[in-house]
Amino acid sequence: MIDVRDLHKHFGEVKALNGVTEVVQQGEKVVIVGPSGCGKSTFLRCLNLLERPTAGEIWFEGTNITDKNCNINKLRQRIGMVFQQFNLFPHKTVRQNITMAPLALKLMSNEEANDRASQLLTRIGLLDKADAYPAQLSGGQQQRIAIVRALAMNPDVMLFDEPTSALDPEMVGEVLEVMRELAEDGMTMVVVTHEMGFAREVATRCLFMDSGQVLEEAPPGDFFSRPQNPRLQDFLSKVL
Amino acid sequence: MSALESFWTNIVSDLQSFGLQFYENIIAHNRWNLFVNGFKNTILITLGAAILGIVLGCLVAICKVSVANQKKALGHCHPLLRILNVICDIYLTIIRGTPMMVQLLIAAFVIFVTVPFDKMIYVAMLAFGINSGAYVAEIIRAGIQAVNIGQTEAGRSLGLTQAQTMRMIVLPQAVRNILPALVNEAIVLLKETAIVGYIAVRDITYVSTLIRSRTFSAIPLLFIACVYLLVVLFMTYLLRRLERRLAKSDRR
Ligand SMILES: Nc1ncnc2c1ncn2[C@@H]1O[C@H](COP(=O)(O)OP(=O)(O)OP(=O)(O)O)[C@@H](O)[C@H]1O
Ligand SMILES: [Mg+2]
Repeated sequence: MIDVRDLHKHFGEVKALNGVTEVVQQGEKVVIVGPSGCGKSTFLRCLNLLERPTAGEIWFEGTNITDKNCNINKLRQRIGMVFQQFNLFPHKTVRQNITMAPLALKLMSNEEANDRASQLLTRIGLLDKADAYPAQLSGGQQQRIAIVRALAMNPDVMLFDEPTSALDPEMVGEVLEVMRELAEDGMTMVVVTHEMGFAREVATRCLFMDSGQVLEEAPPGDFFSRPQNPRLQDFLSKVL
Repeated sequence: MSALESFWTNIVSDLQSFGLQFYENIIAHNRWNLFVNGFKNTILITLGAAILGIVLGCLVAICKVSVANQKKALGHCHPLLRILNVICDIYLTIIRGTPMMVQLLIAAFVIFVTVPFDKMIYVAMLAFGINSGAYVAEIIRAGIQAVNIGQTEAGRSLGLTQAQTMRMIVLPQAVRNILPALVNEAIVLLKETAIVGYIAVRDITYVSTLIRSRTFSAIPLLFIACVYLLVVLFMTYLLRRLERRLAKSDRR
């Protein structure tokens, strides 16, 4: 589904990505861990071209999206993204946040979009907040809404960049729960997180990144119990 | 005569003489009409310049923001845009690097020397508009760039185009930063127009100096100071109301 070939991304002197080659199959839940500044966000942001790779190719569902002629906007409709800082639109109600893109892109009628929003909000138990503004909600509620806002586009894959890192500890659980349900529904997911419990439980595959490279990848069982790379062993000993 | 009585008579006679002088300086000999026309001109120049300034400022801001966005997304920008950007930079540098007064004089006596004196008011509008545009551009650019980059990324990641993201997500939030600053700019503009007398445009300040040169009284100048003050106070009142309304709809 996603086929990344020898991806490089440089910010001036900084080599954020240094040759990443990775394939994500449909239905996989890939969890990426690694120390701060190792290029996890950059990798994720390259997948929907929020960052332009310096070199290398990314193929998504059979098209080379790093090609100049690729329609980025069409592509992004099929790739949902959830940010660390939620990034809900503060001047729009919860419902408008969810329906804005499907309506603006004429993918749904008014009625369809509203129904879809209600259905998604019911799923996360926040239908009663449909007419509230983001500032009136807790961080956990905002992040759950950010997730369904991305889902409203019916994406084929969801990218999560540390979705619980900006949350108070007591709200982490509710967001992870929504992600877990999403995984059970068969969504293809690429998740950057520091939540090792979530990785163990939900991931089909774990990647360890350091200095812009993937140093190790394995199913969560092996990844956590039998790490090979010394830097991963060191990393795990610090976070577990 | 008691001290109190003489004090009282003095005040009354002072007031009477002030009333008389006020009448002489402001109302009589068709002077009231001069002031009214001067006031009209002051307001006309301010309004014309403000509108021109906003149009110019928007164009320049759009150019600057597009360049910044393209550079960020692609690492370079379209050659045409680059040329426009250089033109904008030259414009901003010259306008912000020279005194308004000098710009006005150059407009009137170098660029538009052939314009007849009764049309000089349009030259003044143009000069002030071009000047104001440079500052408005900065206000708008800063207002747009003050909106968190995460908002743009969220919009783009949903598949919205650059233009849709700008229109539906960034601009509505930027307006909250921009509008109050624009009213402030209009207040500055109003006060700055007081120098148009140098190119023989009869604004309210020029009228007052004309009359003063006849009557040698302080009253015309004090009078127009009050007029300016009242207009500025009114605009400040509008600004406060605007800010209150923005704060109310701002549910952050
Ligand atoms: N826009 C940018 N401009 C310059 N350097 C950048 C930019 N974005 C990231 N970098 C650099 O690239 C490297 C990788 O950053 P990235 O954000 O991908 O790390 P990360 O693994 O997500 O870290 P964290 O866990 O702190 O989020 C870092 O050294 C960072 O400073
Ligand atoms: Mg990151």
